[in-house]
Amino acid sequence: MTRYAMVIDLNTCVGCNACMAACTIENQTPVWAGKFRTYVHDKEIGKGEFAHRRFFPRLCNHCASPACMKVCPTGATYKKPNGIVMVDEELCMGCRACMMACPYGARLEYTYGDVTEGGGFYGEDFRRRSPSVDKCTFCDHRVEKGLPPACVETCVGSARMFGNLDDPGDPVAQLVASGVARPPLDHLGTEPSVFYIDDLKRGR
Amino acid sequence: MDLVTYQTQDIWTWWIAVYLFFGGLGAATLSVTFLTDMYMQPHRSLVIWGAWSGVIMLGLGSAMLFSHLLHHIAVIHVLNPLILLKKPGAWIALGTQFIIWMMFWGMLYSLPHLQECEGTDRVPGLRWLLNRRPIKGLSQLCARYSRVIGWLATINGIGTAVYTGLLLQSFPAVALWHNPGVPLLFTLSAFSTAMAYLLIILNFSKKKEEDEAIVRLYERLDLMLIAAEIVVLFSIFNYLQTGSAAAQKSLSILFGDLGWLIGFLCFGLIVPFFLQLKAVVAGWRSNVPVVLSAMLVLTGGYLLRHYFLVAGVYAYPW
Repeated sequence: MTRYAMVIDLNTCVGCNACMAACTIENQTPVWAGKFRTYVHDKEIGKGEFAHRRFFPRLCNHCASPACMKVCPTGATYKKPNGIVMVDEELCMGCRACMMACPYGARLEYTYGDVTEGGGFYGEDFRRRSPSVDKCTFCDHRVEKGLPPACVETCVGSARMFGNLDDPGDPVAQLVASGVARPPLDHLGTEPSVFYIDDLKRGR
Repeated sequence: MDLVTYQTQDIWTWWIAVYLFFGGLGAATLSVTFLTDMYMQPHRSLVIWGAWSGVIMLGLGSAMLFSHLLHHIAVIHVLNPLILLKKPGAWIALGTQFIIWMMFWGMLYSLPHLQECEGTDRVPGLRWLLNRRPIKGLSQLCARYSRVIGWLATINGIGTAVYTGLLLQSFPAVALWHNPGVPLLFTLSAFSTAMAYLLIILNFSKKKEEDEAIVRLYERLDLMLIAAEIVVLFSIFNYLQTGSAAAQKSLSILFGDLGWLIGFLCFGLIVPFFLQLKAVVAGWRSNVPVVLSAMLVLTGGYLLRHYFLVAGVYAYPW
């Protein structure tokens, strides 16, 4: 079996936002409205000489037990056997219940206006035909071809690693098994497939 | 990873509050009037009021949700009853079916009453429609099976009222919503607002002697429902006070807002409770206090849902 997962090392993310740009172009997200499938949060932690700047990349966590999928009334949100959570834009009516259910704020709206705007912005290659709630797909179309997600490929600090959680030899699976990479908000029972290596315990 | 950013949501705002309010009020109104007609006292005008108020309110609430959908045509998937086979645990899917079938059975239950109601003559075209042979036949069938149809409408009505709370409860990331008190609170509020609405109708309509018993019952039930609401709210507050940081933030949002404190807690709950208490224990000389109390309960019903949405706090891991 395959369960795709991502490990993000918060120690090496430099906040260049190249992942956001790569994702935007690859997945044609409504960037003109400030909406992204992956977003890097920039936060200053601590005070004075102890201040520490953290860049926290956020994306869909492709949970094994996704809250968004449970509440989706039309079945538009579904999970592939490889663990990737997808949205069928034809089935999605855009009630936004999934956005409310997601503990990671990982979903965005693709409105009628965005579909119209997208045609001009992305030109004749623009793929989207109808509005819906949108989210990261781990670049499913690239993964199918054996390529890593666009954000992983473009990451200059190698902060993003992509792999198979069910392969014990995979570095991603090993980082998770070691406990170094941990799931966010694990107590909610969503079983995320995105794991983070903490930067705060390192000191200065 | 150990850091948390607390953020209130701005995805579902006042329009969902309207949907939840009218959903609960309309469904509970229909259920209460049908149960009154079936088990307490046959009451044609109450059934017609209840059924059509329910249908119109549910229509208004659903229109509010529909108008805010991102992809309106795709709503067809959730209107199909077979969606329950595909998504039995999705509350919007279940709720939509409750609403549709409540409206359907509700209209059927009221059909024989409409046939015999003189007031229908004043609605252009309605009498003509009711006199068509298929409609008359359907009406006779509905009259024969009125108890079954009444219960089908009532069960779907109760389902709709409960659903409004279960919908919010299904979002695990928000402590204010994801607790067992919310469906109970919203259900109590739905039936309390329905009692209030019906008390206004009964107080303004030409009151017959036999209506007095219904008015007294509704006053007593409303008093008990408000009291139960206060108890459930108190238990939710207690849970929030000693709960997670996100829960405490929700609590501070609610108690830092005069709309919640004065609008809902004071005038939407406490004042109506005492006005109804006086009505039940000693009675009022006029019907003004009861009507005022009912109007306050209705306003409070909306404010409850509005502020519950406003105070939903997410704890993000960044």
